[in-house]
Amino acid sequence: MNTEKATSWALYIYIAIAFAFIFTPIIWSFIFSFNSDRFPSLPLGSFSLKWYQTILSRPEVLEAAWTSLVVAACSSLLSTFIGFCTAYTDYRYSFLGKQAYLALAMLPPTIPLIIMALAMLSWLAQIGLSGQVVSIIIAHTVLGAPFAMAVIRLRLNDMDPNLEAASWNLGASEWRAMREVVVPFAMPSIIAALCLTAAVSFDEFAVAWFVSGLNKTIPVVILEILQGNVDPQINAIGTFVFVISITLIVVAQVLMLSKGKKEETAQ
Amino acid sequence: MSKQTLLKPNRRDILKYGVASTALSMPFVSRAWAQTVELNMLAWYGHGEPDVVAEFEAANNVKFKPKYYAGGDNMLALISQSPPGTYDVILSDAEFVQQLNEAGYVDELNAADYPFDDFLFDEWKQFPGHWKDGKLFSVMVRCGHLGVSYNTTAVSAEEAQSYKCFWKPELKGKVGHFDWHLPNLGQMSLLNGNASPFDIDEAAWGKVKETTTSLRPQVGGFFDYGGTFNGLKNGEMLAMAGIGDWITGVLERDGAKVASVVPKEGGIQFTESWSIGKGSKNADMAKKFIQYMLSPEGQVHSARMAAYPGFAVTKAGRKALNEKDPKEAQRTGQVDGAANDPVTLIKEGRIKYRGVPAQQGLEVWNDFWSEYKGS
Amino acid sequence: MAEGQRRDFYAWFWRAPLLVWQLLFFVVPLAFMFVMSFWLVKNYRMTPAFAFDNWAKMLGWNIFWSSYAYTMALAVAATILASVLAFPAAYGLAFRVTDTTRRWALFFLIIPFFTSYLVRVYAWQVVLAGNGVISAMLGWVGLGPISLLNTPIGTLVGYLTLSFPLVVILQTISLASIDKTLIEAAHNMGCSPLRTVFSVIIPAAKVGLIVAGLFCFILSFGDFVSPYYLGGSKPPTLSIMIVDSTKSGQQWPRAAVIAVVMILSLLAIAFTAVKFAYRRRG
Repeated sequence: MNTEKATSWALYIYIAIAFAFIFTPIIWSFIFSFNSDRFPSLPLGSFSLKWYQTILSRPEVLEAAWTSLVVAACSSLLSTFIGFCTAYTDYRYSFLGKQAYLALAMLPPTIPLIIMALAMLSWLAQIGLSGQVVSIIIAHTVLGAPFAMAVIRLRLNDMDPNLEAASWNLGASEWRAMREVVVPFAMPSIIAALCLTAAVSFDEFAVAWFVSGLNKTIPVVILEILQGNVDPQINAIGTFVFVISITLIVVAQVLMLSKGKKEETAQ
Repeated sequence: MSKQTLLKPNRRDILKYGVASTALSMPFVSRAWAQTVELNMLAWYGHGEPDVVAEFEAANNVKFKPKYYAGGDNMLALISQSPPGTYDVILSDAEFVQQLNEAGYVDELNAADYPFDDFLFDEWKQFPGHWKDGKLFSVMVRCGHLGVSYNTTAVSAEEAQSYKCFWKPELKGKVGHFDWHLPNLGQMSLLNGNASPFDIDEAAWGKVKETTTSLRPQVGGFFDYGGTFNGLKNGEMLAMAGIGDWITGVLERDGAKVASVVPKEGGIQFTESWSIGKGSKNADMAKKFIQYMLSPEGQVHSARMAAYPGFAVTKAGRKALNEKDPKEAQRTGQVDGAANDPVTLIKEGRIKYRGVPAQQGLEVWNDFWSEYKGS
Repeated sequence: MAEGQRRDFYAWFWRAPLLVWQLLFFVVPLAFMFVMSFWLVKNYRMTPAFAFDNWAKMLGWNIFWSSYAYTMALAVAATILASVLAFPAAYGLAFRVTDTTRRWALFFLIIPFFTSYLVRVYAWQVVLAGNGVISAMLGWVGLGPISLLNTPIGTLVGYLTLSFPLVVILQTISLASIDKTLIEAAHNMGCSPLRTVFSVIIPAAKVGLIVAGLFCFILSFGDFVSPYYLGGSKPPTLSIMIVDSTKSGQQWPRAAVIAVVMILSLLAIAFTAVKFAYRRRG
């Protein structure tokens, strides 16, 4: 019994160390963003907001933030739509070549981003779609769709197959059943997929770096600072992005939880 | 029943948010319609930053959209992947102007638009490759020297007088390379005693490869601009090949113990020139900008650029720099009659222009560089 | 008939978006990249051709193969490290904490995915440097200074930054979903805890563990940020070679060759791993 307890404690300590490793860069980045040093090191300099002032005074950072938002919004909508269609197809139908169809759906995450970037830019340049905001949206939709599909498919797993059939029997068309039964049931996962794919897009830099041309997103600006004059603006931007992403996720979580509760009480 | 009530407000919400987001995007849409001219710039890091262009932007209602590259090869690659007319102004390494021109990426310029009469040095007016068949394609705007860059606590000023200091045993694992073949291999070529470091025959090229390879055990890393900067500042690298004051100058201003010198084997001049991109829709504004960069104010901004300093190329520019920032002018030798006046150094034969390999082809040098990195 | 057509339309309406989009913007780009690997570059311009020059050059170049071996070794090392280091944490989270704690832990493990990887790598640069945080802390106890920057260890730290949280998540989920009665049975039969782990828990969670490792491998194998900014590009990995080839000399076809070789390697490894995961014990 005692050894049992000791192992438990050893494991807790181990978990704490693992979390420390994971959060080390995040916490230091946060600290450095408020640190006056141009080249941060220990001991720290004084508390300062100058890196935040710097990024707010640079119109290109704000412009990049706007581009990032537009790209994240458009590509999350598109990839969630595609993900939903695919998840529903997988849930409802079986057909010849379904294996290949699903492989096509799940393959993109296994291709390294730098290769996607290379392939995307060379192809988009061929068809005259490179160097535009649209190019990033297209690429991020490809990257996001599998995640959206996975999230929504998981939710559809829990749907009673008789539910849809029952509404057909009550005379509803397939379209109406979709609208009134399937979509509402999947709604929490659709919102989750929107948030997840938006977050994927918001943090993606390799493909965006290649295809974006002059239309930089926030991660591309960060990459350029890293290649350029490497100053703690990176941390300030990072902290901003972090706060935005986390807010998105928490809002999604809360929405889903409250939805789930309402559903439970309704049933 | 409850499901329906859940669903309906949703749809209304979507409409509501849709309208709201359209409204939000309006200022951005309307901004695109405003009179501000957007100038797309392709340049080394820093040329489109506020410290250089803010005044010009404000005075001419222009907004720069910069795309940064590192190295002439990279620049050519970026242009070729973009639709024609993407870039309005292109800052090129002087030795690549010829290739820009051959590929048809840049427009002809009118020599009368630029202050050639006021240039500090006659050779710079006719920089190789900038003119073709009597037509002008690019105007030199600034230059700088590449030599031995070092941490003053690890390498003495005396040792730094030769590229041989890179082989110092104490520097093992602490010598960094700027990750571009031309300046590094050029320096090795100078160390080997080649009078024209980029115009060497096969035998000399073989020797350059040998010399370079022998440096490999000393090397601590290959860096882009940011990495070079960081590596020198945080002491990870104690000496750097392939760079010069353009990086250490920035760090010196910040109080770091680093310096760059032109060693006895000679140094290399990097040269930067502006061109107007072919198919630019704002060619007039592009011309105006290049004129600005060659005006005394522009030259001062260029010489004191926050990202990396350079030399003024016009007399009026040098004069303005001496008035505005005499300390920086003295630090960099941009004072008439100074011993380390860049022009004097060229005349003494201690400085060679960085060029493209004349007898081997860029690809050969580039491939060797890849092999060197991977070895 | 009309009814059937409407049915078909309905089915195809849901089926088509993926087909159209992924074919046009995923399959075709990759196929085009393969085609491009046979093109030639003259004066910084690609010209369509069907030549094996790039393949011959890359496959006959010892630098390519040493870089291949180096990249492979680093990615394998990262996979083993991540899998082994994550396991005790995942074990603890799966079996020794309450459901609520586990949910919170998973929530915190997701957070890194919403902080920019680049920002985290930059923070590591400062932490790992010779005058950085780790060195300074070692200095307090009279050790150091030590620099992990621009070493393979730096690269591995970056790889783990990218994949470790994901590996812990996937391992935790797969361990937590093991049938608890199985473990109790082993326990009741007098199996020692350590033996239970190796002969009951790991085999039962094999699929999840392998998938977790596979993800780590894929992420590490293709990452170009860590080997460059933490490893000093010394020597370059395959992904850095891709970036280099596109930057200098406009050697896109060569970059395409590297990319194709990387994809084939990944597919082979993924296939083997999955096959191994689902192999019957015997």
